[in-house]
Amino acid sequence: MNITQHPDLLDRLAASYALGTLRGGARRRFEALAREHATVRAAALVWQTRWSGLTELQPQVAPSPAVWTRIDNLVRAGQLEQAMLAARQAAPAQAPGGWWRNLLVWRGAAAAGAIATLAAVVVGVQVNGGLRATTGAQIAALQQQLQATPQIQYVAVLADDKAAASMLVTFDPKNNQLVLQRVGGFQEGADKSLQLWALPPAGGPRSLGVLGQDKLLKLVAGEADVRQVPALAISLEPKGGVPSETGPTGPVLFKGELIQRML
Amino acid sequence: MSTLHPDSELMDLLDRIAAQDDAALKRLYERTSSQLFGLALRIVRNRDAAEDVLQEAFLTIWRSAGSYRASLSPPMAWMGLIVRSRALDALRKRTTDRADLMNELDDAMAQTLEGDAPNPMDAADASEQAFALHHCLGKLDHKQREVVSLAYLRDQSHGELAEQLKLPLGTVKTWIRRGLEQLRACMARYA
Repeated sequence: MNITQHPDLLDRLAASYALGTLRGGARRRFEALAREHATVRAAALVWQTRWSGLTELQPQVAPSPAVWTRIDNLVRAGQLEQAMLAARQAAPAQAPGGWWRNLLVWRGAAAAGAIATLAAVVVGVQVNGGLRATTGAQIAALQQQLQATPQIQYVAVLADDKAAASMLVTFDPKNNQLVLQRVGGFQEGADKSLQLWALPPAGGPRSLGVLGQDKLLKLVAGEADVRQVPALAISLEPKGGVPSETGPTGPVLFKGELIQRML
Repeated sequence: MSTLHPDSELMDLLDRIAAQDDAALKRLYERTSSQLFGLALRIVRNRDAAEDVLQEAFLTIWRSAGSYRASLSPPMAWMGLIVRSRALDALRKRTTDRADLMNELDDAMAQTLEGDAPNPMDAADASEQAFALHHCLGKLDHKQREVVSLAYLRDQSHGELAEQLKLPLGTVKTWIRRGLEQLRACMARYA
């Protein structure tokens, strides 16, 4: 059975999936379908967003005043650490002439200096433990937690004028890549190219790149390219595409909203 | 919706925090800590653990406010997800660390189902999206609303909920299924 033909069933599964109560084999089957069908993935995203509203609706409880004091202390410790790092990193750059001018050596020295400084700061903070014994450990634990902070990812499902999904677009901020997957059967002629456009709230469309013929495509893009862009579109252009300034010259085949997923 | 939407105040604060303005962080904390602490407490059920979660969440906000605008989310929803994510980490850690504590906590949990408040949820600062959910949850009966909320907030399965709420598995499944059906019908009108 093709789940995309049964909107009510799809909605029910997507709601359970995003709520978290769809488990085991049913969850794995849903995930497999989502990878295959962009509409399934889109339905899951809609429900993830809806359920996230629950976090806003809980009864208020005042925390103890000590919590703010701890936050404030850690923020100040972090600011101090950064200021010290910046000050010490500036030092090796003042070394005079000779082989010091060699860029590679300079870079290596700067890196070594930075590492030494970091070690010094960490040791310094720990030695300073008489005042605040746990700060060093807290900073380390904090840095670990920040590493684990959810990656912000953008997803768009681009559909044609009959609302059939044709292209799944995701943005991978780690590798600065837009990944496009063709999900419909559309294939442009050999003398044409598909071109991806960002549709910002103000100003004309901005080109994000020209697509090759493969099923899975990657374009280089920075987060600035997709930030605050509410929608993406794909137009049919002459082979190789058109310059960004001219805007799309051919018909817009697919478009869709750019959604940010947070988990 | 009032003329000065609370969202715009919170978004301004997040912008200032992104520029490392610590006075803005203090103001944001004053405006939202009770709401976010309530959320953390609901998930981890223990004041000390919830305070740690709140602390970690605000430090995360301090470090990553620069990415808030790109999230296209209402500010409370963005912060709520940070708190939930930290709280779930804490919950998992605590469950493995101290399984013996859980029985005591389960009793406290079971009590949350005893009352029958019409809708204890607080929507004062809620985004429009959460407001729709608030409205639709308000139409469920208390028990259905509780199990659905807890399933999401604590990321728990039917089995885990049944165990903690001391209810038969079939009962939990039925409440969730009926709650979901009603919610889906109601939310569809806001689509």
